[in-house]
Amino acid sequence: MTAGTPRERADQTGPAARQVRLHWSVSAHALRLTTLALAALIIAVITKRPEFAGVAAPAVLLLAARRPWRPATVGLSVRPSGRIVTEDEEADLAVSVTGYGEHTADLLVHPRYAIVPGPGASLRAGQASRLPFHVARSGRRSVGVLEVTLRDRLRLTEGRASVDLPVIDCYPRPAPQQTRVVLSRLPSRLGEHPSRSAGEGLEFTGVREFVPGDRQRRINWPATTRRGRLQLNTFAAERTQNVVIIADTTSDVGEPGSTPVDLALRGSAAAARAYLAVRDRVGFVLYQHGLQWTPPGLGLRHYYRIMDLMLGATGTRGLAAPASDITRLPRAALPPGSLILVFSPLLDRRLVETLRDLRERGFAMLIIDVLNAEPPGGRDGLSRLARRIWRMEQQAIRFSLRELGIPLVRWDGEQSLDEPLAPYTRRVMVIHR
Amino acid sequence: MTIARSGAAAALLAVACVVWSAVPLSGAGGAGPVVLAVAAACAALGTVRLTLGRSAAEPAGPLDPAGQLGRGLADLVRTVPWAEGMVVAVLVLEALHHSRPWHTGLLGGAMLAYLLAVHLAESRSRLAVLRPQAPLIAAGLGLLVLAVGTAALPAGTGSAAGLLAVLAALAAVVVGGLALPR
Repeated sequence: MTAGTPRERADQTGPAARQVRLHWSVSAHALRLTTLALAALIIAVITKRPEFAGVAAPAVLLLAARRPWRPATVGLSVRPSGRIVTEDEEADLAVSVTGYGEHTADLLVHPRYAIVPGPGASLRAGQASRLPFHVARSGRRSVGVLEVTLRDRLRLTEGRASVDLPVIDCYPRPAPQQTRVVLSRLPSRLGEHPSRSAGEGLEFTGVREFVPGDRQRRINWPATTRRGRLQLNTFAAERTQNVVIIADTTSDVGEPGSTPVDLALRGSAAAARAYLAVRDRVGFVLYQHGLQWTPPGLGLRHYYRIMDLMLGATGTRGLAAPASDITRLPRAALPPGSLILVFSPLLDRRLVETLRDLRERGFAMLIIDVLNAEPPGGRDGLSRLARRIWRMEQQAIRFSLRELGIPLVRWDGEQSLDEPLAPYTRRVMVIHR
Repeated sequence: MTIARSGAAAALLAVACVVWSAVPLSGAGGAGPVVLAVAAACAALGTVRLTLGRSAAEPAGPLDPAGQLGRGLADLVRTVPWAEGMVVAVLVLEALHHSRPWHTGLLGGAMLAYLLAVHLAESRSRLAVLRPQAPLIAAGLGLLVLAVGTAALPAGTGSAAGLLAVLAALAAVVVGGLALPR
C-alpha cells in the first residue's frame, strides 16, 4: 500500500488554458529611475552643475526606450501533479503561460494554510514550469493563489494577474508501524493470526497421538520412532480479527503539525495500514463535532475509504458529538469481540466515560495517548498551581482507565508506533471480560 | 547573481553611495549631517525592506500585541519607498559640496548600479535579465562621462557659462533619448 496509488487513480486531466486579464502598471524600478532622473536634473538646473545632468542620463535613456506594446490577457493553465497527496510529500503545479510575446513571466505562489511553497519560477516565451510545494497538515486544502507578473524587456512596466489554485486532498502520513496487537480470542474466520485452537495453520504447536482420520502427511516420524506409537504434528489455526480504530480529533491544541489531532490521524492511518496488510478487518470511527464511521472491511479500497473519512477531520473547536453515540453504533460498525484502538489525548470527558462504558461491556481496548501539549500560562505561582492541578487531573483520568483494565500507552508522534505498543505486540493480548 | 548576492550588493552599494557623497562631511555645510542621517536611515531601511520581501507576515493573534506591533512595523517598512528617498538624499548631499565633477560622476554610476541591484533583489531575478538594457546603460554612462568632462573644463567667462553647460548636457541627454531605436 503506497501513497502513490491514489495519485494514479486521481484525475490527471487539468483544466484547459484560460484567458486571464492583466493589470498593468509602472514598475517600482521605473519609479526609482524616474526619481533619480528628476532629482539629478533639478539639482543640475538649480546648481548649474552639468555633471548632475550626466547622472540623470542613464536613467533617462532607459525610461525613453520603453515600448508601448503589452498584452491585455494571457493564457494560463495550472495543473497539480495529483489531486491527492500525503503530508510532506513533494507535489508540484505544472504551469504554462501563453501569449506574452517578448515579456518575461514570473510565477509566485501565495500559499494558504498548511501549504509550504518552493521557489517561484521565471518563464520565457514558450516555456512551461513546475512549481513545487508540499502540504504540512492533512485535510482538504486550497493551495493558494498564483500570481503571474509579466515584465517587459527593460523591466519598466509590470502586468499582474492572480488566479486561485485548486483544492487538493492531503492524507495523513502514516507513522511507522510493523507490529500488531493480536487478541487471545479471535473470531472463527480464516486469517493470518495463529490462534490458540488447533487447526490447519502453519505454526507448529505440538505433538499428539495419531487417531484414525488424521492426515498421514502430518505424522512426526522421529517422535513416532522414540515413543513406539504413531505421533502427529499439530498446528495452530489461523484466524483474522476485527479492529476498530477510534480517532479523537476534538482537541486541536499545541503546535500546528504535531497537535493531538495530527498524531491521532497519523497513528490511525498507520494502524489501518498495518492491520489491513495482514487481512484483518478494520473499521474506523472519527470522533469530532460529528461522529463519522465506516464498518470493518478489508483491502486497499477500504484503506482509502478510511483515509477519505480522515479528510473530514478539521479539528475545529466546537461542540463535540455526544460520545455515547459510539456505544450506540450498529453491531456492524462495532462488532463484539473486536479490538478497539483509541487514539486520543483524553481531554474530552464524555469520550473517557464512553471508553469506560465500552470496557465494562467487555470490549478489548487499547488507548494510545497522544496528548503532547499543556495549557499555556505565565510563570507566576497561580499559573503554575493551575498547571499542576491540570496535570494531576490528567494523571487521575489515566489511572482510572488503567484500573479498569484498559491498557494505555503514550505516543509522542516522533518514534515508531512499535515502541509504545511493544509490551502488547510481543504476545497475544489477553482481555478479561 | 543569486538573490542573496543581489541583496548584499544593494546593501554595499547603498553604504558606498552614502559614504562617497558625504566625504568630506565638513564640506557639506550645516545641513550636511541632517541630510546624511536621512540618507543613512533610508539606506538601512531599504536594506531591511529587501530582506523582508514582498509577502505579508503571518497575521498575529488578537492577544499578541508584540506580534501586531511587529507586523505593523514590517508593513510600514514595506510601504515606504526607501530607495527613492536615499537617491534624493544622496544627490542633495553631493550637491551641498563644492563642484567635483569626477566624484559626482562616480557617484552617478554607483547609484545606477544600486538601483539595478535593488531591482534584481526585489524581483528575485538573475543578472541576465539586464542584458537587454546593457547598450542603453553603456550609452547613458557615455553621456555621464561627457557631462563630467564638460564640467571639468575650465569655467568660461560670465555667469551664464555654467547654465549653458547644463543646458548642453541636458540637450545631449534628450538627443540621446530621441535617437534610441523604437
